[in-house]
Amino acid sequence: MTGAPVRLVLDNEAVQALRDASHRKHRKTLAFVEAAVSRGRGGAAPVVPAAVRVEAAWDRRAPGAATINRLRVADVVLDRPGADRAAALVAALRISVADAHLGAVVATIPVPCTVLTSDVDDVRRIAAHLDVPVRVVGL
Amino acid sequence: MDGDLQRLLDLLDQVDDAATVGTSVRLPVALRDAAAVAVRAGLLSSVTEVTVRGLQAELEQVANRAVLDEHYREHPEARPSRWEVAIAAAELSGHPLAARPELVRRAADELVRIVDDPSPDEVLAYAAGLAAAA
Repeated sequence: MTGAPVRLVLDNEAVQALRDASHRKHRKTLAFVEAAVSRGRGGAAPVVPAAVRVEAAWDRRAPGAATINRLRVADVVLDRPGADRAAALVAALRISVADAHLGAVVATIPVPCTVLTSDVDDVRRIAAHLDVPVRVVGL
Repeated sequence: MDGDLQRLLDLLDQVDDAATVGTSVRLPVALRDAAAVAVRAGLLSSVTEVTVRGLQAELEQVANRAVLDEHYREHPEARPSRWEVAIAAAELSGHPLAARPELVRRAADELVRIVDDPSPDEVLAYAAGLAAAA
């Protein structure tokens, strides 16, 4: 019905909303996580770029949200090729390190992806610069 | 958190850097032979790789389900309703019904009376039927 699995990429506020049960968008973010998980065995576990997780101050060892911290959200590390791509984005668009890493990630994910973000315009600008088909959903 | 779930999550965290071990698994003969043919034809890289990936994906999925269910036990108000998940699924994939939340909500309400635990895709399929019939 909704096609092939889509990889859900979490931006800063999505991460903050996910890890904090009192966040006003916590439930909405969980709806997206549930939708991704419900897609079954398609390998569509949500991902978060490591620099985004740092910006969102998501320390998964923190005891405050011990259960949700264990959700299988995959970290995407900032390796050398990713750092090169992110650096090029910073130089071209004057964006934050976290946004640049997010751009580097969506440019290389081999399946269709959707970014859940509160900065729709910024992410669309990054996707347009990269000329990659990324769906951007406002949180 | 339940001790077995904790252990499952700890082990999944270690998968990428863990040592490997040989093990025996009973497979349907035809499935084993089909996999061998697929590798010979260049359709699969290796039976082991595909088996590991499939098992890992299955375990990640059940772990996520267990973590979410535990979270909802602690925070019942955080559990999104069926129609909210269906809308999110539509938004994830750019489905046009993402713009029809009232219809998706109605579909979820009606479908749950005739289908046990319908999936988001089933809700969207039902909503598409409602839209077509309108």
